[in-house]
Amino acid sequence: MVAYGIPSVDARPGRFRFLADALVGRLGVNISLGLLVLFLIFLSVYPLAMLFYGSVHSTPPGAPGEFNLDGYRQMVTAENFQVLLNTVGIALITSTISITMAVFLAWIVARTDTPFSRQWEVLITLPFFIPPILTAMAWAMLGNAKIGAINQFFKWATGASFSPIDVYSYWGVVWHLMQYGIPFLFLLTVDAFRAMDPALEEAASMSGASRWRVFRTTTLTLMLPVLLSAFVLSFIRGVEAFESALFFGTPAGVKVITTTIFDSITQRAVPEYQLATSIAFSVMALMFLLVIIQWHILRGRSFQTVTGKGYKPKVIALGRWRWATFAFLCVFFFITTILPVGQIALGSVFKFVGFYRWNMLTLEHYSTIMNNGELWRAIRNTLWLGLVGATTTMMLGTIVAYVTVRTKWRYRKVVDALAWLPWMMPGVVLGVGLLWAFAFLPRNIPIYGTIWALLFAYLALGMPLASRIMSGAYTQLSFDLEECSRVHGASWLQTLLRILVALSWPSFAVGWVLTFFGILRELSASILLYSVGSEVLSVELYKLWTNGQAEQVSVVGLMLIGLVIIFRWIQIQFLNRQISAI
Amino acid sequence: MLRSAIRLLAAGTIAVAFAGSAAAQNQADWDKVIAEAKKEGKVSLYTSTLGAPFHLDIIKAFQAKYGITIELLDVRASELDERIRTEQASGRYNADVVQHGSASLLTTYDRPGILQARGTVPNQKNLGTLFAEGASDTRIPSYVLPYGILINTDLVKGADEPKSWKDLLNPKWKGKIVSDDFRALGGGSVFFSVTEDKLGKDFHEKLSQQGIIFSRDVGNDERRVAAGEYPMRIPQLASNTLRMKGLPIKLVIPEEGMTFVRFDLGILKGAPHPNAAKLLTDFYLSPEAQLIYANAGMGSVINGVGEKVTSDAKAFAGAKFLGTNNPDTLNAQLDRAKALYK
Repeated sequence: MVAYGIPSVDARPGRFRFLADALVGRLGVNISLGLLVLFLIFLSVYPLAMLFYGSVHSTPPGAPGEFNLDGYRQMVTAENFQVLLNTVGIALITSTISITMAVFLAWIVARTDTPFSRQWEVLITLPFFIPPILTAMAWAMLGNAKIGAINQFFKWATGASFSPIDVYSYWGVVWHLMQYGIPFLFLLTVDAFRAMDPALEEAASMSGASRWRVFRTTTLTLMLPVLLSAFVLSFIRGVEAFESALFFGTPAGVKVITTTIFDSITQRAVPEYQLATSIAFSVMALMFLLVIIQWHILRGRSFQTVTGKGYKPKVIALGRWRWATFAFLCVFFFITTILPVGQIALGSVFKFVGFYRWNMLTLEHYSTIMNNGELWRAIRNTLWLGLVGATTTMMLGTIVAYVTVRTKWRYRKVVDALAWLPWMMPGVVLGVGLLWAFAFLPRNIPIYGTIWALLFAYLALGMPLASRIMSGAYTQLSFDLEECSRVHGASWLQTLLRILVALSWPSFAVGWVLTFFGILRELSASILLYSVGSEVLSVELYKLWTNGQAEQVSVVGLMLIGLVIIFRWIQIQFLNRQISAI
Repeated sequence: MLRSAIRLLAAGTIAVAFAGSAAAQNQADWDKVIAEAKKEGKVSLYTSTLGAPFHLDIIKAFQAKYGITIELLDVRASELDERIRTEQASGRYNADVVQHGSASLLTTYDRPGILQARGTVPNQKNLGTLFAEGASDTRIPSYVLPYGILINTDLVKGADEPKSWKDLLNPKWKGKIVSDDFRALGGGSVFFSVTEDKLGKDFHEKLSQQGIIFSRDVGNDERRVAAGEYPMRIPQLASNTLRMKGLPIKLVIPEEGMTFVRFDLGILKGAPHPNAAKLLTDFYLSPEAQLIYANAGMGSVINGVGEKVTSDAKAFAGAKFLGTNNPDTLNAQLDRAKALYK
């Protein structure tokens, strides 16, 4: 009776006992789990506690003041209720459309014989990795009601006098968020589709279900944990979205929670941190409700699709329809990637973005970037932080997911909740919490003002996504696989590598890429925590942007796209095969 | 008579000798500051002027002149405030010099007592009349950001060109002016504050009927004017206009003068490199540093720089100033802007 997991858990009958149990005993494992919980508390509860203090105290930490609930009282206004409605509406619409599109795209890429599906898998995710300020700039040029290229083309082609698109609107905010929501959700779901045991679908088909019914009642139902998890992640991202609302919502008078928080911190003579943190905690409470609902829906149900029984992903032959799905991918790629990236690419070789005249063609932005020593120092720092941060975050996320999904440890829900917490706090506020947390540590803990502050911040910010992704992957793995491995004499390490690592590798890799590029893009915490010598790319890009160097930011944006293509190619073409071969 | 003349001469000689001696003493004291600063070897500058290329030029010039390294940390204003406040509250004295908008430096730093007395620095005498009165023992002006009206020269020609801020009230510009948000801190709120004070509340009551389009994406908005989406933008930073040379745009300097934001310097309490901080403060007021600012389209705070600037920057160098915001009325004015411009 050994649980292949945490030993104190041994409640799972007929399971292996954790190897560590044999090596260091129950005490050692409990100490390890205790350390894990302490570390999670340090990363999530500690900065949130500082923020909570800020929400119930008239001044921020370290300043004289008094405890009161003025921030919470102040936020209850009719205007803020409208802001809440706007925010929830935008997040809900964005997440619903995005997950529908993402599921369809994932199904096409992972489960059909649509031509070039491997290549599409990389290409349709590209917009996710471009800094939002760049895609905002591109869409401002494409979808501007007066002079936008799409509207101009429409008027020229149809003779109409009206503009069908205006990105400076509520729907402009939704559209810009979808640029990130669709590839994000696609990345989270595509490997789950691929990991589907076809026997289950075949069984449904054999029972007379139509293809649509099989998809709806079997495929989607088995995908429920992944889809629900992805939807919740996406919804929370939508609620916390900032750039889209700032760029496209503000000119149209569309206010959302994050812009309201931002205003209360940055747009008053004395920043109103109490109000900002009160709003943030109220949002967090709402988001936590959502997560509890998710737990409730998934509780007590099994979603294991990867078992020991002849697992081989099945590809559906679409016949002539494969060209229809191919055409759909082409159109999707053209609209979401070629159009904005095309603007960015053009912008990088003209003196001014949006002004495309022969006499303004230039490569000076490339040479300026190549000779920008500060930027390259920031790139080196960021790559180090990205590599170490993404790897550490994914390892931590894997451990958290393992504890929460593969064990019956009494406090596993606590671990899950601790890992979730930072995701529910808007980035503009969480950055301040991390600043307060690190600055008020004892002086002999040298984190503040060093590159470690950034690394811990990235760990805190990336951990929720990492643990969600790995939880989704582990939920699909049958316990039989581990048992079978151990019965046949494999050691704990062999089982870990050949079963858990090998089968969850695609999810780990996707999580790694998302975390890596999340670190490359992260600004809210970075700008508060970087110090001289630990400058990072996102801050340097923001500086360039602020100084009107959109063309140079475009050059870096293209470099990032190149990096994504290389990383994803290595992952898909090389690493996946290597790991699978273990 | 002769005796009186001799007495006067003697008194004059003694006064000159004292003055000379005091000057010599001052110079000796300053030389000591320089020597100590060089021993300190570096100085940490925190500024809310994010990523400005001219900062790097000034840093290079300072480092070349004194061999003292400047560690520059440039972040957005609100983050700078919280970062320094947190560092001071937690006893982490990492920063030496802070450069910030004059209103913020007064309300967020000086009044809460986190700036230290600087003493007089030699180049302080260079300050122009308008800016000398802004200097105190803890704060000293370093440069200004002047704002005017950006126009698209293809869309706004000849007689249509605004000459005064009041020309924005012309009904033909209704719905055609894009603006930095008056309801948020920045150039927009300074414009609101100054024009409300100088042109009267009536001006904004009328302007609010003009259907101003607010945005906070400054760089993009400037391009939208250049691309012809809007004929004009307010308030427009002179330095940004210089960067757009080659596009069909022009910066109009209204006859009442340009609104401006003044950036001041202060030395923080607990500064680890106090002498280097003083030396850097002094360097900012040198003709060499001020010329770098002026050539970048900023306003110089010292006399005599206007004649030396490049031809591109000449138009702004001698421009008249209308005024800057009042830190004590800032929140009230933000509230009024919110009420007026819904």
